Amino acid sequence: MQLVKKFGTVTAVDRLDLTVSEGEIYGLLGPNGAGKTTIIRILSSLLVPTSGEAYVLERRVPDKSIASNIGYMPQETALDTGLKVTELLEFYGEIFGLPRSAIIEKENELLRFVDLEAWKNTLIAHLSGGMKHRVSLACALIHDPCLLFLDEPTVGVDPELRLAFWDHFHALKDTGTTILITTHYMDEARRCDKIGFIRRGRIIAEGSPTELLEKTETTSLEDAFVEFSRQEVTP
Amino acid sequence: MKIYRCLAVTKRVFRDLKNDRRTPALMFLAPLFAMFVFGVAFSGDVKDVPVIVVNADEGSTAQGVWISLSEEIISQLDRQMLDITTLKSADEARNDVEHGRALAAIVFPEHFTQEVITASFPGEIQVIIDRSNPNVANPVLKSITAAMTGTMQEIGQEAPITIHEDSIFGKNASFMDYFFPGILSFVAYLLTILLTLITFVGERVSGTLDRLLATPLRESEIVTGYALAFGLLGTLQSAFLLTVGVLVFKVTVVGNVAVAFVVIALLAVVSQSLGILLSGLAKREVQAIQFFPFVVLPAFLLSGIFWPIEAIPSWLRPASYMIPPTYAVDACRDVMLRGWGLEKIWIDIVALVGFASLFLMIAVLSLRRRD
Ligand SMILES: Nc1ncnc2c1ncn2[C@@H]1O[C@H](COP(=O)(O)OP(=O)(O)O)[C@@H](O)[C@H]1O
Ligand SMILES: [Mg+2]
Repeated sequence: MQLVKKFGTVTAVDRLDLTVSEGEIYGLLGPNGAGKTTIIRILSSLLVPTSGEAYVLERRVPDKSIASNIGYMPQETALDTGLKVTELLEFYGEIFGLPRSAIIEKENELLRFVDLEAWKNTLIAHLSGGMKHRVSLACALIHDPCLLFLDEPTVGVDPELRLAFWDHFHALKDTGTTILITTHYMDEARRCDKIGFIRRGRIIAEGSPTELLEKTETTSLEDAFVEFSRQEVTP
Repeated sequence: MKIYRCLAVTKRVFRDLKNDRRTPALMFLAPLFAMFVFGVAFSGDVKDVPVIVVNADEGSTAQGVWISLSEEIISQLDRQMLDITTLKSADEARNDVEHGRALAAIVFPEHFTQEVITASFPGEIQVIIDRSNPNVANPVLKSITAAMTGTMQEIGQEAPITIHEDSIFGKNASFMDYFFPGILSFVAYLLTILLTLITFVGERVSGTLDRLLATPLRESEIVTGYALAFGLLGTLQSAFLLTVGVLVFKVTVVGNVAVAFVVIALLAVVSQSLGILLSGLAKREVQAIQFFPFVVLPAFLLSGIFWPIEAIPSWLRPASYMIPPTYAVDACRDVMLRGWGLEKIWIDIVALVGFASLFLMIAVLSLRRRD
């Protein structure tokens, strides 16, 4: 692996080694600018690594052929604001080549899940930030992908719905979906199966939430992160 | 390349337009507005143009009756359009035209009537004309020709001179007839570029393009989907304008309208690829606006919309042939004014297809570029 991605002189991802096992929820945890988004974008075939290799579903990325198995939810809302909620979901369904009936069925299911049934005929432009985020998640799920890349999916989502999101992530995991999720909310990282602390493009610690807490003898992941950062600086 | 994915993109463009009233209004009403403005400003109602008549014709006596064809022609000149002064000397008249005191001088030679009637020589009228402004010169020439042909028809003879411009513009072509194919091409070009440019800068900046590219959708499918959408929109737009043109401005269309639509659709495809291409150069939406002059001006000045390519300085003319609207304007004019078919305008079509393929390819590559 030894993945490296540079933007000019900035090294966003620095000799990174990372493995996500099938069927787990892996949380990439780190401050802003740590390189989380860059990693997700490389794995989604949107960026070409400067050096090193990355494999997704046994294919070396970038590779278009695996795209239909991946659900990607970018960090910025990235929605066509000129469409209505249902039109957007239908568009994504069409791109994935789903039959009309399957699109409608899935669309209703997702609208119920993200609690936007009452807004389904509203223009995206007229939705609140949180609602747009929910639409964005629904778009990533329309084709029942077996692998999900979620870049800060819970930013700007109110606490109640955030819980619902996580419940849903676990429900997806139970159906065999693998999820790679980034966040800088330390509290919700507890619900991941495995966490990678990332700082300046490098994984500084990796393990299950309880393992990481035990290793640093701390009670919160936030403290654990600080502890690992300190160890990095003074090896 | 999967056609259903292209069509999904096409459908998305139309859904976007359906939800947004302003853009369709821009596509259909703005050109209409432009047409009215230009139609009123240039509708060929040229008035009170100073014209000098020098009549040295002595007339002729046939079967005991003295006649003067020159007098007859002069009496048939359109007095609304032409403000006629009579002079004795042709040199003086030429001098006036040269110094801008008159736009044209019509000189009848001494034996004009006699020559025409006896058909010993082809009667010749000399027309000295200032052509610096074709929008005035052409109607004036036409009016002179009309008076002349009118007179000749009365006596059952061919016109003594033929004025070249007449054959170019068609028998009864008004300025609007001439201008109309130009404006069809121009609005299809301009609005398509602006729409795609703004849309694609938005897609890049907002991240929707990334999101699309993370799905099975390919760059080529996005571009094809958009090309279909804008080709169709261009056709709808010109059908609409043509209907208004024919009904309101009494534009005459000689040739097959379908051929003109093909030309416009091709131009729209070229323009949307250009829009996508240019969007790659803009980092933010505002920057896209800075491209407008570079997009608008060359087309406006060089593609032959208002004045013929032949009126453009020869050193600048190669530039005309490098911009796609030139070919569309030319082809539409050939079809609508001259009634030419595909067999005669194929060079324009080939040029447009060439531009389309080239730009489509570069547009796909410009989307594919990853950092
Ligand atoms: N397209 C880009 N061009 C230049 N620098 C970039 C680009 N994308 C990200 N970076 C830089 O790479 C680093 C990592 O960014 P990112 O992956 O977005 O971090 P995170 O998602 O963890 O906040 C940052 O320093 C950022 O400024
Ligand atoms: Mg990020």
